[in-house]
Amino acid sequence: MTSRRQLQMIGLAASIVALVVLSVIPHLTSATDTQRWAQALYIGMAAMGLNILTGYNGQVSIGHGAFFGLGAYTTALLMHQHGWQFLPTLLVSAPLCFVVGVLIGFPALRVKGLYLALVTLGLAVLFPDLTKHYVHVTGGTNLVALNRTELEPPQWVPTWLSAIGRDDQWAYYVTFALTVVLVIATYLMVRSRFGRALIAVRDHEAAAETVGINAARIKVLAFGLSALYAGLAGSCSVLVDHLANADKVQTFQLSIKFLVAVVIGGAATVIGPLIGAGIVVGLQWFISEVLPRHLGSIGILKRTLGNPAASPAIFGILLILFVFVMPDGIVGGLRRFWARLMSGRSGAPPPTPAPLTT
Amino acid sequence: MNHRGRDRRGASNSLRALALCTVLALAFAACGSSRRSGNTTGNTGASTPGGTTPIVDTSNCPAGQDSVGVSGNTITLGTSLPESGLYAPFTAILKGERSYFNYLNAQGGVEVPKGSGKKYQIKLVDKDDAYDAARTVTNVNSLINDTKVFSLFNVVGTKNNLGARDTVNSDCVPDLLIASGAVQWGNTKFPWMLGSELVPYPLEVRVFVDYLKKNKPNAKIAVLKANDDFGQSYAETLTELIKGTNLTVVQTQGYDPESSDVKSAVTSLAATKADAFLLGATLLACPNALTAMGDAGWKPIVYMSGTCVSKLLLGAAGKNADGLLTVTPLVDPADPGNASLPAMQLYMQQVKKYSDADATDGIVAYGWTTAALMARILENSPKLTRSSVMETARNFKDGKGIGLELPGATWDTSATDWFLGETFQLITYDATAGHTKPLGPLVNLDGKTAELSPQSLLHS
Repeated sequence: MTSRRQLQMIGLAASIVALVVLSVIPHLTSATDTQRWAQALYIGMAAMGLNILTGYNGQVSIGHGAFFGLGAYTTALLMHQHGWQFLPTLLVSAPLCFVVGVLIGFPALRVKGLYLALVTLGLAVLFPDLTKHYVHVTGGTNLVALNRTELEPPQWVPTWLSAIGRDDQWAYYVTFALTVVLVIATYLMVRSRFGRALIAVRDHEAAAETVGINAARIKVLAFGLSALYAGLAGSCSVLVDHLANADKVQTFQLSIKFLVAVVIGGAATVIGPLIGAGIVVGLQWFISEVLPRHLGSIGILKRTLGNPAASPAIFGILLILFVFVMPDGIVGGLRRFWARLMSGRSGAPPPTPAPLTT
Repeated sequence: MNHRGRDRRGASNSLRALALCTVLALAFAACGSSRRSGNTTGNTGASTPGGTTPIVDTSNCPAGQDSVGVSGNTITLGTSLPESGLYAPFTAILKGERSYFNYLNAQGGVEVPKGSGKKYQIKLVDKDDAYDAARTVTNVNSLINDTKVFSLFNVVGTKNNLGARDTVNSDCVPDLLIASGAVQWGNTKFPWMLGSELVPYPLEVRVFVDYLKKNKPNAKIAVLKANDDFGQSYAETLTELIKGTNLTVVQTQGYDPESSDVKSAVTSLAATKADAFLLGATLLACPNALTAMGDAGWKPIVYMSGTCVSKLLLGAAGKNADGLLTVTPLVDPADPGNASLPAMQLYMQQVKKYSDADATDGIVAYGWTTAALMARILENSPKLTRSSVMETARNFKDGKGIGLELPGATWDTSATDWFLGETFQLITYDATAGHTKPLGPLVNLDGKTAELSPQSLLHS
């Protein structure tokens, strides 16, 4: 138990360091890098949402790109066509995504596991079609691109937040602030009655019901909440990327990114998905931008590692290695590492992997 | 506690399996693309245009940014295109561009303005966007703010360029020779964008309608269109153009532009036994549709979008592609009959020298020619500033004999004409020979694109 206590202290210290570092990033890096950090944050927000559903409640979704897109389109259309400021749009997009999430959650009560994954995949496939049918904005396409003036921070924002005409700082700080809010909300939630109910339903639905938990209500609420997180992430993406867009490939890839962030960061941990998102975005940047630039003079390396076409393959291989080395994600891996360090050689042997269940 | 931990690991086991499967799927999607080659380029010049009333209003442009991207004797251009993912075959464009710019740089570079004796090397910086509009916008911002490019060049994709539309127009950075035949580049509210020599989609329909009026005036037409603005350009223009003729549309079927699965749509169209078939489709949907048409035993007069003119796509359709009609702005490098043209000889020789690309591929020829067009615009500019180059591109008169441009064709623009590729050739595919053949004289529809375009796309 002392080791758990120490772990919490270390976690707290690391969080404070992370908070400080993340607060000053826009003042240290270029606009492009600031944007990349903000992208990692919004992918982390959506992954945190998926984690509520998948990590804590055991329902797998590979369609959260659709909720993300719904949030993004709601914000983008309100800002671009109705002249709203960014922050008020959150009051629309968050409840809307929650309600749609709940509606999707009802049929999800009847399908489980991989079948549920397939149903949510359908969601990711359907959403871009809906936008193509109903949205005709920039150049008559389903793209909603925002003008620079529409992205400007409101008057009351102090200049150190928005800095000298750089809207990327405003976008970053808004995303950062929302991420912090969601981290605290998740932390409180998983330690509440509701959080314990989520876990109970995941671990043993029938047993949970015998102690008075309404499993159906919990599962539907988990769906709604996770959609709300994804929707907020989508809203932030409009501010960061200056547009809302939905294509099948991207919506699907985004859904997978969220899932990958959850898995490599650590499912059913509060901060894991955020770390996972940082790794996903960082790796992709490193593989598709840094490697090609620095391998330029070495013929064979340039043709293989430095080739942008190879980047998804390299990314895939690295992820496979990740999953094998840290099967319970970064956070889980660090916990085990810490436990082993504290207990010394006399300590408990590493936990044997649980049998594969579906 | 322990029990809970075990179960948690159990849950993450199946999660892990799922993540691995999807990652593998993504890795497979990455296969089958291409590599990039060296960088930089340049060329020689011609003459300078006179000063008239400017078409491009520069009054709201940021100060002191007009010469960014020119340092010493180097002009830096930037491009963004899919180098990974499903659309990675477009990397062949980059190979053609690099071949031309390398060739030009080896000749000393591009002379700006023509006759001044001052030559510049061209450096082309490319970024991969995997055809994702959000990534294109990030790339464009980075090219403008970090790389400090002089101009964007041949950025691929309609939505990809639309996403950057506000940025390039408020920063006053030329977004030149956009790789898309969409009509949106004719929107006069956004003068800093110009499409490349690709034939604007509505003009293709016009050529097809003219062909039918002459050869089959009572034809019933079946239409396959992508369910997006691209497919809409074909379908809407056709509806407009057949008004007052005896031509009729019997059925229109849409397909999902991202799936290229068109079999059921084409089978349904085949049941109408229509005389003519308009294929407002692109990439793999084209050979798929032609194959489905052949399977159904349907033999209409086929018009296929010019975006599908590629050795690979036509080859995939095989016999079913025989005799189809389409258009091209370029001389076909796959036709051995063109091998004696000096422009073709230069192209073949330099592409072999500077890249590993298949020179008979029309996509490489497009990259080569677009690079030559860029150099031609630069050398016609009286000053090497962004505003001067953009003004030159908007009022371009030196549009003959560029790269693999068709002999006798002219690519020009003016204050009232915002499209370059309005002279082109109607061609037919000969499946036995494996290349296309010209049909009739050059088609000249200079200045006609705006009036033929769906107004909802042109002005939004």
